[in-house]
Amino acid sequence: MRNRIVLIITAVLLGTTAHAQKVDIFGYFEPQYNGIYFDGEYFQLQSNKLRIDLKSTSIANTEFGADVIFVLYHGKTDWNVLDFLSESIRSTIPEEMRPFYEIAFSDTLYLDNVYARFALNHFAVTAGKQQISLGTGYFANPTDIFNAKDALDPTYEQPGHNALRADFQPSPRLNFMALYSPVEFDLENSGKLIRAKLGLGHFDLSLLGCETQYTTTDFYTFEQLQERRRILGGDIVGELLGMGIWAEGIYNFFENSENGYEFLVGTDYTFESGLYSMLEYHHNSAAKSDAEEYDLNDWMRFLSGETKTVSSAQVYGLIQYPLTDMLIVGSSFVLSVSDKSAAIIPIVQYSLFQNIELTLVGNIYVGEQGTAYSNSLGNGGFLRASIYF
Amino acid sequence: MTHHTKCNLSVLSFSILLAATLPFTQPNAQEGMTADEILETLTETMNPEQSHGIMTMTIVTSSGQERTFKYETFSKAKGEKSLMKYLEPQRVKGQTILMLNDANDIWTYFPRTKRVRKLATHAKKQKVEGSDFSYEDMGASNAFIEEYDAVRLKDENKEGRPCYKIELTRKPKSNASYSRAMLWVDKEKFVPLVVDYYHEDDPQLKEKQLACKDIQLIDSIYTPMQCTMYNKLDNTYTSMNIVEITYQVDLPDDLFTEMGMQK
Repeated sequence: MRNRIVLIITAVLLGTTAHAQKVDIFGYFEPQYNGIYFDGEYFQLQSNKLRIDLKSTSIANTEFGADVIFVLYHGKTDWNVLDFLSESIRSTIPEEMRPFYEIAFSDTLYLDNVYARFALNHFAVTAGKQQISLGTGYFANPTDIFNAKDALDPTYEQPGHNALRADFQPSPRLNFMALYSPVEFDLENSGKLIRAKLGLGHFDLSLLGCETQYTTTDFYTFEQLQERRRILGGDIVGELLGMGIWAEGIYNFFENSENGYEFLVGTDYTFESGLYSMLEYHHNSAAKSDAEEYDLNDWMRFLSGETKTVSSAQVYGLIQYPLTDMLIVGSSFVLSVSDKSAAIIPIVQYSLFQNIELTLVGNIYVGEQGTAYSNSLGNGGFLRASIYF
Repeated sequence: MTHHTKCNLSVLSFSILLAATLPFTQPNAQEGMTADEILETLTETMNPEQSHGIMTMTIVTSSGQERTFKYETFSKAKGEKSLMKYLEPQRVKGQTILMLNDANDIWTYFPRTKRVRKLATHAKKQKVEGSDFSYEDMGASNAFIEEYDAVRLKDENKEGRPCYKIELTRKPKSNASYSRAMLWVDKEKFVPLVVDYYHEDDPQLKEKQLACKDIQLIDSIYTPMQCTMYNKLDNTYTSMNIVEITYQVDLPDDLFTEMGMQK
């Protein structure tokens, strides 16, 4: 039923487009091949993603935007999270409970973003399902309570979120942003965020306050605890001694649970040769530091996005080098300082044609079993072609 | 490294492209002009107060592959503020680069992720979309005068035009990316026709060459409609062509802001 509604909306929008001739239609087709060598066997999963964007600016100071995403999956689409976890965790789950931890990649069709934006010189309001990007970090953004980045593919686009957003810019380097993200029309539990951003010299810094509903799931019983979460945080980006530096962090005040904090600091530098290097340190007090203490909840909360990391302290690194004008090679790594595990992620990007880009990403886990980046998670990678139109 | 002083002779290239200009009313060249006077005149005239244009940038690799980008540029305050928005190809459409303070502050906007990212000044060394122009090359500035010592050499003809020949040598405390540069400046139009850039660590190693052609008078300003940067080390080149440009615009300051990038 939902898919049918999306199709109808898409058809109407496309029909309107053809009629009005004032709507841009663009997007991309993205086939992706994933391979993983896991538990002595090789598995493959392919996806074919089509994103169609519509944008209209035919009314003065107003932009209407929407995009529809279709994804078809092939190959090994059914997985069970328990298969990837250590025996000590698996053994705590009764056999009859195993189906509760299955995940399936199902063909999908949905409206990812649908919004209207009205903007004057110093003021803008955006209403609808929209992308929200907060924070200065590359691999993770503690201040971004809406999204969780994948450390293996941190720059990939994030989904849209229902929100009413207002931006006010009284001077060129001073911005205020207020955001209201409704939760089932419940004003009290809906997300509210305010942010002030200021430019000082070569630095941009922002402070934010947020109130939202937070859900903690017990994945043994599937009971959920919902409570009020208040956040104070901020971020800064600039440079020091010739190196780019940034930091962001939040402090969580929970209604019932123990308060906590999360922060990230980073630095980068481009060498004269064009070699780009980056290093980040990320700490999450909600995660654990000893791999032997990880339980099912830690993993499932990470996979479901309730918390951003499995281990409490991580170092991210990235190097990239433009081998030719069309080819960039590099590698990133994620090192769990807490449990001494790591993932190495080689990356190759090639501009095949004007509008076709190939991305090859590998993942090699080198941690001991039970750690955040355990080699028992399986090694592999993906090859993605992005074809823009 | 202090970034407010960091500059690069290659800024000349963008100035030439975006606004490499000489008001038609500029004083005529004088044989007795010193190198500093020629550079000062260039600096004064290369950066018009404001400009708005559409340009194409074609990258040609050593194997002959080509990538062409089309973008819209806005420049204000004699190039101190500039904004560049990609129009084509679709892969990069909407990506925007904002440069303030003579490209000492750079922000990029990616429409696919709706993310604005501030780059540190070292990022100016990075190639723009794989081209032979770096961010630094794309940022207009007049700071190169302060970073280089200039010597006027014997006048030469270049591209069939009488030119001043100026040799620039990086000052000892400068952080400029090129150790040395050689300029040939058209005596009549005061537009640099050729600029040779020498490697940061080897003043004898020619790294890049900028060549400007098709100089037209637009809004009383001499404007090279085509400039090509040849990378002598990689055997690649990038050609930038002005599709249209005007200097008679009144651009709002709001355009050169984070919100302006997203319009």
